[in-house]
Amino acid sequence: MASICSVLPALLCKFPAIDESTIRLARKAVDDSFKGFVRSYGNAIDTVVQPLQWFLNYLESLFVSSPWVVILALMIAVVYFSSRNINVTIGTALSMIAIGLVGLWNDTMITLAMVTVCTLISILIGIPIGILMARSDRVQAFVNPILDVMQTMPSFVYLIPVVMIFGIGKVPGLIAVVIYAVPPMIRLTNLGIRLVDKEVLEAADAFGSSTWQKLKNVQMPLALPTIMAGINQTIMMSLAMVVVASMIGVGGLGKNVLQAIANQFFTVGFLNGFALVGIAIIFDRTSQAFGKRLQKHSEVIHG
Amino acid sequence: MKKLLASTILAAGLYALAGSAQAAECGEVSIAEMNWASAGVAAQVDKFILENGYGCTVTLVTGDTMPTFASMNEKAQPDMAPELWVNAVRTPLDAAIKEGRLIEAAKILSEGGVEGWWIPKFLADAHPDIKTVQDALKHPELFPAPEDSSKAAVHNCPSGWNCQVSTANLYKALNAEKDGFLLVDTGSAAGLDGSIANAFEKKTGWLGYYWAPTAILGKYEMTRLSFGVDHDKADWDACTAVPDCPNPKVNSYPVSDVYTVVTKSFADKASVAMDYVKARKWDNGTVNKVLAWMDQNQGTNEDGAKHFLAEFPDMWTQWVSPEVAEKVKAAL
Repeated sequence: MASICSVLPALLCKFPAIDESTIRLARKAVDDSFKGFVRSYGNAIDTVVQPLQWFLNYLESLFVSSPWVVILALMIAVVYFSSRNINVTIGTALSMIAIGLVGLWNDTMITLAMVTVCTLISILIGIPIGILMARSDRVQAFVNPILDVMQTMPSFVYLIPVVMIFGIGKVPGLIAVVIYAVPPMIRLTNLGIRLVDKEVLEAADAFGSSTWQKLKNVQMPLALPTIMAGINQTIMMSLAMVVVASMIGVGGLGKNVLQAIANQFFTVGFLNGFALVGIAIIFDRTSQAFGKRLQKHSEVIHG
Repeated sequence: MKKLLASTILAAGLYALAGSAQAAECGEVSIAEMNWASAGVAAQVDKFILENGYGCTVTLVTGDTMPTFASMNEKAQPDMAPELWVNAVRTPLDAAIKEGRLIEAAKILSEGGVEGWWIPKFLADAHPDIKTVQDALKHPELFPAPEDSSKAAVHNCPSGWNCQVSTANLYKALNAEKDGFLLVDTGSAAGLDGSIANAFEKKTGWLGYYWAPTAILGKYEMTRLSFGVDHDKADWDACTAVPDCPNPKVNSYPVSDVYTVVTKSFADKASVAMDYVKARKWDNGTVNKVLAWMDQNQGTNEDGAKHFLAEFPDMWTQWVSPEVAEKVKAAL
């Protein structure tokens, strides 16, 4: 191995990297300009995100301080009326009661508030971008690499600057979760619309549909199974990311998981993990059943 | 180049075939590179000295206090934790030492680790009346909470660390809630560091738990506040460090013992290096200097280790025999 290098010129053996001191200077320059940015705009950015902070604080305190009976009744009602499925409703009630019995009610409420907002924001951002991507190949070519970065970049790489700008707490946590959870929503919305049959679109054109009518009445309904899969992925990823969000000061189940990891408390870790799984399944079954009801007219059954 | 390749397993195999005499003296050693700066540099210094001075083959394993200790205790892997804050694992560590599974080597931080509640120096200079924690609690307006600026905050230590319990108990003992202070969970070391960086960049106040020697304290000047009482060990062990202690009293943090811990198998296979790991220790001033240099120059742990070996030869040549010192100097 090493002997080859004695005959080859050094240039071919050792990669000609840029001089270390140059790289160091460049890194310093970037870091310093970032700090300068935080210094000049930090307070302005704080003011802009203040409403979001208030909303998150309000929602969390609403979930935590409401009597558990009210929250449980509300959850059961929401689940039943969106899914119209008695099994899912009973499962929800049972898993929430189990969570309460092992003393995780408050932590679950904090996480639930966080995940609800994260999922809704991801869906609200994801669907329009997915539609835009489906409409234009150029947009798709531009957005796809960005999604790749969002899904593969280790979250701590962008968490550090985010914490520097926003401090610790729910706002940076929300940003971290949404960055991670929104790509599947975008990708699957895009895919679903692109997979709608050309003939169907031609038929819609023949009846003189406008672009908006085509989207609302043809493409979206037919893409719904794929979009529902996207929603499911977004929910799962939000919940998976809640633990990482706890590393920057978001409370709830994630915090307990972190403590359990640091102290090797298996039981605590599993209990909190299963509480997360419980919430995930409730969210997922409800949204899937709701999606199925929306698709009653189509023969495509989302399984 | 040769060295770089020798560190690959393949070349290691070739060297073994060639019957390298050095490899016979010291086997393959794994060292825990903990995820905070001072311990990271220590691991890199050990790697450099063990590889170049003693001919060991060193792999670094990323670590953290609890998981690394558990792994060393149960599986004897990694072989060595250069900087283990033993207060956190006192009971199981004592048991493991008694049973001969683990060996306590040098007290790597000769002055011990310093913990406490800190405020930014610029704030301490602007408010010379704040000398103790109690003084700081009289000024909730100076320490806005991260998520609700109408309240004040004491930043707690990362989730799951021992200091989380003691900080929470002291918060309770000081009755800080009454003064409008929340105890804010920072989640992780990154969250805690980020909250300090955020406060310094925006020039707002910050109050919370931190410890030295650390890169953050090399980067951002902070002042440690006194608790107004001496450290009472009996009460600390009986109550301050115990979760949900019913009525904690105000107490000072102990100076933490920080040791190098090695497994028995390390002592067997790298016996030539045992004198070194028993002798290696440095003071907080030196560590802070190295960490500050790393921060100014954007250096990695490895750069920091090389900087230390180049700049502080008087210190490290004390740790090794003259022949080993020559070998290490030749490799620099």
